[in-house]
Amino acid sequence: MTSSRFSPSEAPPVARLIDAFHRLPGVGPKGAQRLTYYMIRMPRQEAEELAQAILDVKDRIVLCNNCANIGESELCAVCSDLTRDNSRICVVEEPLDVVAIERTRAFRGRYHVLHGVISPVNGVGPEQLKVRELLERLKDERLQEVILATNPNLEGEATGMYLQRLIAPLGIRVTRLARGLPSGADLEYADNETLAHAVEARTQLDAAAADR
Amino acid sequence: MQPQRTARPPRQGQPGQPREIPAAASSYTRSRSPTYSAEGIVVRLRDIGEADRLIWLITPDRGIIRCVAKSARKPTSRLGGHIDLLRHVTLSLRSGRTLDNVGQAETVSSFRGLHTDLLKASTGSYLAELAERFSVEGGASPQLFGLLVSALTHLEASPRPQALARRFEMRLLDLSGFTPQLDMCVECGQDLLKEERLLFSAARGGILCPRCRSGQSALLPASAEAIKFMRFLRTAGWTRAERIHVPEEAFHQTQRILRNHLRYVLDHAIRSTAFLDEVAKPL
Repeated sequence: MTSSRFSPSEAPPVARLIDAFHRLPGVGPKGAQRLTYYMIRMPRQEAEELAQAILDVKDRIVLCNNCANIGESELCAVCSDLTRDNSRICVVEEPLDVVAIERTRAFRGRYHVLHGVISPVNGVGPEQLKVRELLERLKDERLQEVILATNPNLEGEATGMYLQRLIAPLGIRVTRLARGLPSGADLEYADNETLAHAVEARTQLDAAAADR
Repeated sequence: MQPQRTARPPRQGQPGQPREIPAAASSYTRSRSPTYSAEGIVVRLRDIGEADRLIWLITPDRGIIRCVAKSARKPTSRLGGHIDLLRHVTLSLRSGRTLDNVGQAETVSSFRGLHTDLLKASTGSYLAELAERFSVEGGASPQLFGLLVSALTHLEASPRPQALARRFEMRLLDLSGFTPQLDMCVECGQDLLKEERLLFSAARGGILCPRCRSGQSALLPASAEAIKFMRFLRTAGWTRAERIHVPEEAFHQTQRILRNHLRYVLDHAIRSTAFLDEVAKPL
């Protein structure tokens, strides 16, 4: 057990829970204390449901054998869906990115989760990511396109360029997500880099659509 | 017994009396978080919290600054577009209790050439890691900052990023006072170029002649061409360092010697070399 960094006046179970919350990402000491005291007032049934939910995540969640997304069985919900398009794979950094793209309902292909991004400064190379598994999947003859959906920053782009270098010789089309202005944003507040990308990746307006 | 009443001090601000600033207000003024502006290169980033970024910034006058850009990972953030690795930025910072907070950010240069070439991006990461390792918090180093800016600027359009990296390594060793001894044997002072089968010792900080090698460990071979190339790197500019033709074996010896020396000086592995070497290998 780790020693509590909090007030010695707090009962040991309280201090332990504060410590546990404080270890979570984005939870500071005050937040951890607030959550703990909320839990103390919480009905027992709710507390048990929360504890069970945490245990279920640890016991029942596994990485999909195919795409490395998180799921309840050997194949995740996307990989076991027979109606999905097998000719496209969208490569993302984290499982949460799958959730974000699925929310758009704009993509009906398959996914591959790398579980990170190449970060030479932090000592993360391709061997720590699910790159080998991706290359195995590229042997599927139905595959026509790999969409690189890594984050639009230097590490995301370096990861994309590295994958492109490996995939391009296989004759599979490699694309990456467009970069530009977020919906609802004001042009005058956009930074130069984003604006430059938006200009470079501009698209032609459909004349027929304009007439309608 | 009735408590003794003391005379109340006269109220301030009444007609005819000068108004003084209350003590509490003046101390508040002193303890207010100061804001300051810092120009620097982002050399490391880490995601923290819900959508925040922890930034390591190399600056000319404050050494390394660690600061937080709140909500920088959100697409609508006005900071996000300016906060990226190897970005030359000007930040407006507010001092915090543990970390300073970024209020505003402006890009000076994004070194866009590094974003479209894997070897240049990997070389840039390597240079940034070295610069970070040689920097300390609060230790001003305008020369180191200038060297990094200059290297990244040349790297963008460099035809030979690897040669540029060698020049950076040599200049960095020079700036930090760890220039390897290349003109004579570090043990006996013998002129080197008359000798053959020379060796480099990071522990001794230079080249050893064959007679002084006994008892020394972790020695690396150093050909006359490699030694000449390293001497050349001490004084050559970026363009000349990129253009000079060096035999492949001598170039690799130089790379091994300089990296070995840097690792010895830093007493720390340089993590970005593994990926850089993989990228530099032909497919």
